[in-house]
Order: sequence, then structure tokens, then C-alpha cells
Amino acid sequence: MRRLLTVLLLACAAMGVVPPYAAQAHNVLVGSDPADGATLAAAPRQVTLVFDQAVRQGYARIEVTGADGASWADGDAVVAAERVSVKLKPLTGSGTYVVGYRILSADGHPVTGRLTFVLGTASTTTSAAPSPGTGTGAAGSDAGASSGAGASSGTGTGSAEAGAAAAEAAANGGAGMAVVWIVGALLLLAAGTVVALRRAAPSPGGSSPAGPSPAAPSGASTSGPAPGAGTSGPAPRAGTSGPAPGASVLGGAGDEGARP
Amino acid sequence: MSVTAPPLARQRTGGLLVAGVFGVCAVAAAVAAGTFTAQESVPGIPMPGPFVTVGLPVVRVLLDLAAVAVVGLSLLPKLLGFDAPERTEPVLLRVRPLAVIAAWVWAICALLTIVLQTAELNPGGVPTFGMIAAYVGDVGTGQGLLFSAACALAAAGIGLMAVRFGEKVPAELRVIVALFGLLPIPVTGHAVNSVWHDPIMISMEIHVMGAAAWSGGLVATAAFLAPHRDLLAVALPRFSRLATLCLLLVGLSGLVTGLGTMALTPGVTLPDAIVTSHYGLLVVVKTALVAALVPLAAHIRFRLLPAVRQGRATALARWATAEVGVMGLAYGVAVAITRASIA
Repeated sequence: MRRLLTVLLLACAAMGVVPPYAAQAHNVLVGSDPADGATLAAAPRQVTLVFDQAVRQGYARIEVTGADGASWADGDAVVAAERVSVKLKPLTGSGTYVVGYRILSADGHPVTGRLTFVLGTASTTTSAAPSPGTGTGAAGSDAGASSGAGASSGTGTGSAEAGAAAAEAAANGGAGMAVVWIVGALLLLAAGTVVALRRAAPSPGGSSPAGPSPAAPSGASTSGPAPGAGTSGPAPRAGTSGPAPGASVLGGAGDEGARP
Repeated sequence: MSVTAPPLARQRTGGLLVAGVFGVCAVAAAVAAGTFTAQESVPGIPMPGPFVTVGLPVVRVLLDLAAVAVVGLSLLPKLLGFDAPERTEPVLLRVRPLAVIAAWVWAICALLTIVLQTAELNPGGVPTFGMIAAYVGDVGTGQGLLFSAACALAAAGIGLMAVRFGEKVPAELRVIVALFGLLPIPVTGHAVNSVWHDPIMISMEIHVMGAAAWSGGLVATAAFLAPHRDLLAVALPRFSRLATLCLLLVGLSGLVTGLGTMALTPGVTLPDAIVTSHYGLLVVVKTALVAALVPLAAHIRFRLLPAVRQGRATALARWATAEVGVMGLAYGVAVAITRASIA
């Protein structure tokens, strides 16, 4: 019973040390410019999608497809916090355009979707309805609003992008932090194993397995059951035939009886 | 003991049947639910190939199954107790190597999942090592899976020590290391962006660990102990108490997590979203599966357990196989639910 308590205590300590994975949420599209289903009089210069929270850098894609299947996006999608935008080539034909997107959600899932807008007949001129000039100041203020929000995102994304990348890396901890956490947790587990073995083993055998044993079995394990597990999957055949020599080593199962 | 166990060959088939039903149900449900929730193709956006879209749920559910197996096989010594090694050792000698193999499968599946998720984000090619490194560096899911794989390897190492040194390696330690490896798994699922984030994460952790202990314990008990009435009389009452607790925890935490996640996602209105979104429908399916588990579990608990206690022959194997099948279906749906769209 006391041993159980010790192990439980150890586990609780380890759980406290568990990496503070900030498991961020699933991104949801809350607005766009042009809005989904909107009929526009003038051709937009760019398409902006607004999500409920920051989008991850690097994996976002937006494509704008015309009715004839031609692609109208000009360059790659640009991520600025919760806004993802892409510039458009001058749209020439009226009709329905489909905006398809695929972003990496903050919680690590790819999110895809589509929306459409209709370009009216009267407007083959690219008269720049959402003028980029008005934008910069209003960028942060009306983040959730879907109506006029998109107009602002075009300018100043260069520095914002770098800042967002840094903030994201800081929030994430980066791979370096993950390695530190893993190594720490493994050390903790190894220490727990040694302690538990020392406590469990009777005094004569106690010292010899405690020292080299954590390394030795895991070293043997890489050559031992790994190929079997990899190739044949969970087939128990491999299990029954494989560890047969190990079972014979356990001939000392007699002293199991001494276990309290 | 006057009761003689059936020959080993028949025991193996019985055990294989239970494990097979669990695995087949889980993989089938994962593929079916994964197809149901597959993201629609979007014009102009390259989508991952069929190898990724089918392979990812399969590998992911195999990861879950291997983790469940490790937890269940590690629980078995604890359920059997340590008082009668001359009776329990013949069973445990077969159990310990299987736990090591399951831990290796777990680790390999976790690493494969990282590769497949990288391929999913970079459609149209085999992911390079640099892409995988970037994925693990950038995305919490990759780090969580890496951590899970590390814990699985630790479980394999400790399991090997148990193969070598027997029950001198504490059973509690093996259980805890296995549960520890399950902790990062909820990171690969949904989360919400609110003050309720932490309670919902804790609820998810309880859900994952409770489900693993419950189904793992049942699979291990049914697969290895069903032919041994003397051992069953000791282990099943203990497992039954654990299972009752797990049933309550899993059901409650599942509802809290599912409904909470939907309620806190912007643009989602309850109760409409329960029937309109993929996520809501899968929550309904999982609730129905848990509800289907209750009568099966109750039959084992209230009808069969008294007879098992007295060492009489029962139809436990059949009932447990049915329950395990339903659990497998729930695990398959669980894989799809982590990836389904909420809105």
C-alpha cells in the first residue's frame, strides 16, 4: 500500500511537470471580405478571411477560382494574426467566383472551406473598392466584425508577420522546449524505476539490477522485439515465439513468492 | 483446484477472438466515421491523397488500441494480486512480453502518425525530414505525439524489465507510465479558446485515461482470464469496481467535453449543432455507444459476477466479447471526432 502511494505521488509530481501544451482551439471562419454570397459591383483587389483567432504561419493557402476554372489568386496567402489574405489578379469576367481555403488551425488541424462571391456585370474595371489606404489604423479594433473588417489587412503585413511568427514560437515553446520536457520526464521515470526496483528487490539482488538495468534492457529492446512489432504488427504469434528465451531466464520465478 | 483449464490452443483462440473483435470493430468504425467526416474537396486547393486520408485514421486507431493494450496488460497483475504466484505466473508469463510488443506498436504508430499528419499538411508528395521536423517544431500535436512515443518506449523498457525480473517491477509503475503516455493524446484533439480551456482539458484527460483503463482491463481480463475460473473469481470483482468508476467518469467527462467544446466554439449554437455538425453527430453516436455498454456491463456485473465469484462456469467470454466490440466501435468514432469539424 505504501508503495502504491509512493508511485502515485511520483506520478502526480510528474503530471505537474507535464509540458504546458497550450492546446489552442480550432479556428472558425467568422468573416470575410468579400462576404460569402455577396454580389459585388467592382472587382476586389484581394480576398481576406477573418478567423476567430490567430492562424498558424506557413501552411495557409487561398485559391480563387472563376466559373471557367481559371485561377485568379496572385501569389501566396499572407497570414497576419487572425487574417489571411491573398491578392487577386484583375478580375475580368463577371460571374461567380469560388474562394477555397485551407489553413492550419491553432490546435493543429487543417481546416478547409469555401465561399463564393458574384461579380456584377457592370464592373470589369478594377476600381479598387476596398482601398488599402484606409486600413492600417483600424486593423486591431474591429477584429470580429465581418462587414468592413477585411479592408484593412493588406498593408504593413511584413513586420506584422515577423512579429506574429515570434509570438507564435514563444507561445508554443518550440521544439527545443519539447525536447527538454521529454528528457526531463524520461529522467524522472528512470529515477522512479530505479527507486521502485531498489525498494522491491530483496537485499542480495538489490544492488546489481538497479545500476545497469535501466540501460541494458532498453538497449536490448531496440534489437529485440522492435522488428517483430514493426513488420508483423500486433500479431501475438511473434509474442509467443519471441520471448521464449526470456522466459527461461525467469527461471528464478521461485523467489517471486518472497514478494510481500 | 479441481477445475482444469482448457488446453492452451483453445485459450489462444478465445483470447485472439476478443482482441480481434476489439481491433476489427475499432478500425472499421474509424474508417467509416473518417469517411463520413472527410473534408470536402475545395476547388484550387490540393488535397492529400487516399493513402493519407485512409491511412491516418487507421494508424491513429492502431495507436489507441496499442495504448489500450499496454494499459490493460499492465493492469492485469494488479487485478490478479500477488498472493498466489504459482497460479498467476503461468498467465503473466504470457502477458508481459505482449505488453512490451504493444508498447513498441504504440511508439511506432505515434511516429507514423506524425509522418502522416505532415503529409496531410503538405499534399502532393512524400514528406521530407525537414517538413517533419518543422511540423514537430511548429505544431503542438506533433510534440504531443512525440512525447507519447517517448512514454511508450519507456513503457517498453519497463515492460522488458518486468519480463526479466517478474513482479519485482511494480505493476503500479507500469500502469502509471502507460497512463502518462496517454496524457498528451488530448492535445491532438479539439480545444476551446476560453477560460474553460483548462477544465475541459482536464475533463478530456480523465476521459482518455478512464476509457483506456476500462476497455484495456476488460480486454485483458476476457482474453487471458476467461478460461481460468479460479483467477477470474479473484480478478473480476476487482475489475468490476474499477469499471463502475470508469463508466461514470468516461460518460460524464465525455458529455462535458463534447457539449462544452461545442458551446464555446464561436458560431455554434446549441442544441442545433448537435444534429447539424459532424462533431455533434459523432457526440450523439458515442453517447449511444456508451448507453449500449451499460446493459452489457450491468449483465456481467449483476448476473454473471456472483457465479464467477463462486467459481462456476459462465458465459462471460461471450458477453465480454460483445462489450469489447462496442468499445472498439467507440474508439473508432473517437478517432474521427478528434478531427471532425465543429461548426
